[in-house]
Amino acid sequence: MHDDELILGGHRFTSRLLLGTGKFSDAVTMLKALDASGAQIVTVALRRFNRERSEDDLAAPLLARKHLTLMPNTSGARTAAEAVKAAHIARDLCGSPFVKVEIHPNPHHLMPDPIETYEASRTLARDGFVVMPYMPADPVLAKRLEEAGCASVMPLGSAIGSGQGLATAELLRLIVRDSRIPVIVDAGLRSPSQAAAAMEMGCDAVLVNSAVAAAGDPPAMAAALARAVEAGRAARRAGLMDRGDSASATSPLTVFLTARPG
Amino acid sequence: MSGALPDELDPRPWLAAPPPTAARIAAALRADAPGIEELRVLISEQARPWIEPMAQRAQALTERHFGRTIALYAPLYLSNYCSSGCAYCGFASDRRQPRRRLAPEEIAMEMDALKAMGIEEILLLTGERTPQADFDYLLGAVRQAAQRFHLVTVEAFPMNVEEYRALTAAGCVGVTLYQETYEPEQYTRLHRWGPKQDFAARLDGPARALAAGLRTAGLGALLGLSDPRFDALALYLHLAHLRRRFWRAGFSISFPRVCEQAGGFAAPHPVDDARLAQIVFAFRIALPDVPLVLSTREAPAFRDGMAGVGISKMSVASRTTVGGYVAAAPPGSPGQFEVHDGRDVAAFTAMLRARRLEPVFKSWDAVYREAPAA
Repeated sequence: MHDDELILGGHRFTSRLLLGTGKFSDAVTMLKALDASGAQIVTVALRRFNRERSEDDLAAPLLARKHLTLMPNTSGARTAAEAVKAAHIARDLCGSPFVKVEIHPNPHHLMPDPIETYEASRTLARDGFVVMPYMPADPVLAKRLEEAGCASVMPLGSAIGSGQGLATAELLRLIVRDSRIPVIVDAGLRSPSQAAAAMEMGCDAVLVNSAVAAAGDPPAMAAALARAVEAGRAARRAGLMDRGDSASATSPLTVFLTARPG
Repeated sequence: MSGALPDELDPRPWLAAPPPTAARIAAALRADAPGIEELRVLISEQARPWIEPMAQRAQALTERHFGRTIALYAPLYLSNYCSSGCAYCGFASDRRQPRRRLAPEEIAMEMDALKAMGIEEILLLTGERTPQADFDYLLGAVRQAAQRFHLVTVEAFPMNVEEYRALTAAGCVGVTLYQETYEPEQYTRLHRWGPKQDFAARLDGPARALAAGLRTAGLGALLGLSDPRFDALALYLHLAHLRRRFWRAGFSISFPRVCEQAGGFAAPHPVDDARLAQIVFAFRIALPDVPLVLSTREAPAFRDGMAGVGISKMSVASRTTVGGYVAAAPPGSPGQFEVHDGRDVAAFTAMLRARRLEPVFKSWDAVYREAPAA
């Protein structure tokens, strides 16, 4: 029995590394990276489902791997209404209750729309989905999404595909401190050390795509990330030592409080 | 009736700057937040020897934002009737061309042929507005396309907001409208007669389309008509201007250049392969998250080399003759321009895969547009 499971909407997982499936040079590399990552949850965009041309379809090879939980995402939606429609179609197609709500109305910088994301998440939670919203690293929005019935929150570390790492670290700390649902850092990570840092600061999991797909050797990078996530999680559980100056002050300042009158 | 370039699109202040030094070029390549000044530097004559480091940077940026993928689309030429006299175009109204427009049954057959090739993004093309190929004709073709393809866009004549709104309701997602040249005087010289003489109406077309609810606008200049630096900088300013106004819109930039066609027009400012590549790389560096498009106008070797190196989207298996997908073109019927890359889908995608690039046919889903009226 694994003593440190990630629980999302009542579903239990042992891996804390989630993988995105776009941007790979081919499906074989993507699947190899997936195997090397040990990921149990993968996200795939509904817009990359293609039932009419198998070699262009990202969903079918993933559905064939029965141990995987598919988390369709609504990338391409600009509004809550579009995302809700897409989520229902994706659920019908692949049978997974999970949905990654991804609403970035600007197709260039891909920043999530907090208003539409909130509306869509609330509706989909009511419709019985396991809702995983991709969101700006905003501690207030995180609590609002939690109250709306989301299974997790997925704040961004930095812009999608930017590789800028944990640019939002201070905001992520506030989200982690106050959250009652798992916090998954999604987007912006480039390296295993950044993934480990996210886990050390208390995030429950990380989701990566570009960091693997755009690496020199995607399967090897997936394996490295998996180990970093495990190490970061273990470090968090072990408890990091306090950070301080290299030595403590040499001259106590409060001696006068205990000194006896002479 | 032509019109001037509005101040915010006028590249002359940048063109007037002194030529960049080597140090300035190196700095532009490393810039954290490249903008028009870096674009000016990188498209300069002085930057030509830097094309290899520019290519390296362009490839890294393309891979980071778009992954190891190339989005594919196919054009469908609906009609080659035209009412304009563009000096550089093989379909201009004074060219002795067999004129033809596809009837709805023929459109269906062409679309079915494209669909059978795996195409999911289709670009519908006409010339300028004519009685044979007017707005209602185009609207009908959009409706037919929306029943078959996930992503439908048009490249036709500039329209008014109501027309663009009707296209959106019919299932059209985007519009491509090249300004051809942003240099107003040259524009006037080259557009000898017809509705396309209206420089301002064309320039403002993408804004009308986006205001009407279309999601994407493809911009471009036909390189070779004017000083390519003028057109490249004005194109950048056009995009920057539209991006501030339409924050939800997607933009792409294409890089057509003047090539041989009926009428024997010679480019006043020829753009050779190295120059075109330099311009593409500079745009990728200045606009790392904007899709950059290369069509089958270009030869296979050039297309192969540019795939993923700045370029993130390409047309495939194009036929630029009307009715070209079903019937082999009758002898003596040239297209609007020569297709230099005549490879079919299988051959082209095999090349991409050999370069470790995944061809993506479907990168959009019809769920994200309003269902067209049946």
